Amino acid sequence: MNERNQYSIKVDNISKHFTGNLLFKGISFQLICGDVLAIAGWNGSGKSTLLRIIAGLMRPSAGDVEIFHKGTPISKDERPFFLGMVAPAFSLYNELTGIENLAFFHKVRGLSYERQGCLTLLDRVGLTVEADKLYGKYSSGMKQRLKLIQAILHKPPLLLLDEPGSNLDSKGMAVIEDIINEQRLFGMTIIASNEKREVGYADRIINLSE
Amino acid sequence: MKKGRWVTRTGSSTYLNEALAVWIRDVRGEFRTRYAVNAILMFAVTTLIAVSFSIGAYRIEDAQKPFLYAVLLWVIIVFSAFSGLSRSFVKEEEAGTMDVLKLSARPRAVFLGKLFFNLTLLGALELIIVPTFIMFMGYDIASTGFFLVMVITAGFGLGAGTTIVAAMITQTGARGALFSVLSFPLILPLMITAIKGCERAALGIATAGWPEVRIALAYTVIMITVSLFLFPLIWEE
Repeated sequence: MNERNQYSIKVDNISKHFTGNLLFKGISFQLICGDVLAIAGWNGSGKSTLLRIIAGLMRPSAGDVEIFHKGTPISKDERPFFLGMVAPAFSLYNELTGIENLAFFHKVRGLSYERQGCLTLLDRVGLTVEADKLYGKYSSGMKQRLKLIQAILHKPPLLLLDEPGSNLDSKGMAVIEDIINEQRLFGMTIIASNEKREVGYADRIINLSE
Repeated sequence: MKKGRWVTRTGSSTYLNEALAVWIRDVRGEFRTRYAVNAILMFAVTTLIAVSFSIGAYRIEDAQKPFLYAVLLWVIIVFSAFSGLSRSFVKEEEAGTMDVLKLSARPRAVFLGKLFFNLTLLGALELIIVPTFIMFMGYDIASTGFFLVMVITAGFGLGAGTTIVAAMITQTGARGALFSVLSFPLILPLMITAIKGCERAALGIATAGWPEVRIALAYTVIMITVSLFLFPLIWEE
């Protein structure tokens, strides 16, 4: 079994409704390493909710999500360590600096932490100079860049990007493209967005509005 | 999980290391914002001053002092703790960091980290309030060792009980009121035990075997054990 086939995800007939209102139903797909999927749809169609369900942050009303490693399902307890996620509703810690945030997420994930390694990661998104500035004082674009780095620092097999380009300039968008291209070599990516450029990175599209 | 590109954990990673990371982050964040510390200390100091001015050391008969002082001390400690300890999880929810933490840390490591943080806050509270109370009220304690150990062990119990309740109320409305309503019946047996223990310590009688200390220790162990099983279920919801 080669590297590309080590990880896969199966989303089986997922439905979600809130207090009787159906958001979406019958969502099914499978991805293997190298796949990039886009989830599109109108505002309120459930793109972010679907990503939260895949991440295990929310229970579906029906259906199931399984991540497999060499064909063996990964337990739900372990799932967080196999995925990284960026979403507009997420925040890192305002009272910590950029590099302190990265150090914290290294340690809490059980990864070895080295300042130089974190500075290299920050350099990738152009935040080296702002490394020791409080996250709360970052601009919205800078916050988004740090959130991207936080999501990939453990090199997850599954990367979930909810509107990844929000608040980003052209340099930031280039970083996203770079991250998706790297992920394409080693893992799976699911992007929830309506932006043409972001949807354009995907091989397949699921439109929740249809 | 340790092979291939996706090395998500180092071999030396343990719950304790991850819990310490959560604890250090919370302490650092609290040091910079002082939100919980200010809430707890303001409540504790104002209550202590109100009690010491209105009751003082001379309005209570000597025979009643050991019991009444123990009651007043624990009322101040418990309700001061209630004013700030609920913040440990609520602040994650309000700041939008809860989901990132859920996707990064193992539930039991988060619980232990938050427990360590609440115990740190309680330790600081007791360090300030207990000597000040003794000084202001002229609290004579015959068995100082028993008194100190009683205060420390009951503090551990208080921290353990309030941490799990703080986790339970995070995603509810009217969190402040709910925290007190849920915590009070859980903490009451411990509070009664601590009051009894402090009274005995003040009187210096029947302290052999430190029974109240053992009850407080048992309460703490039971509460932490139950919480470690319960917390992952709360955390996933």
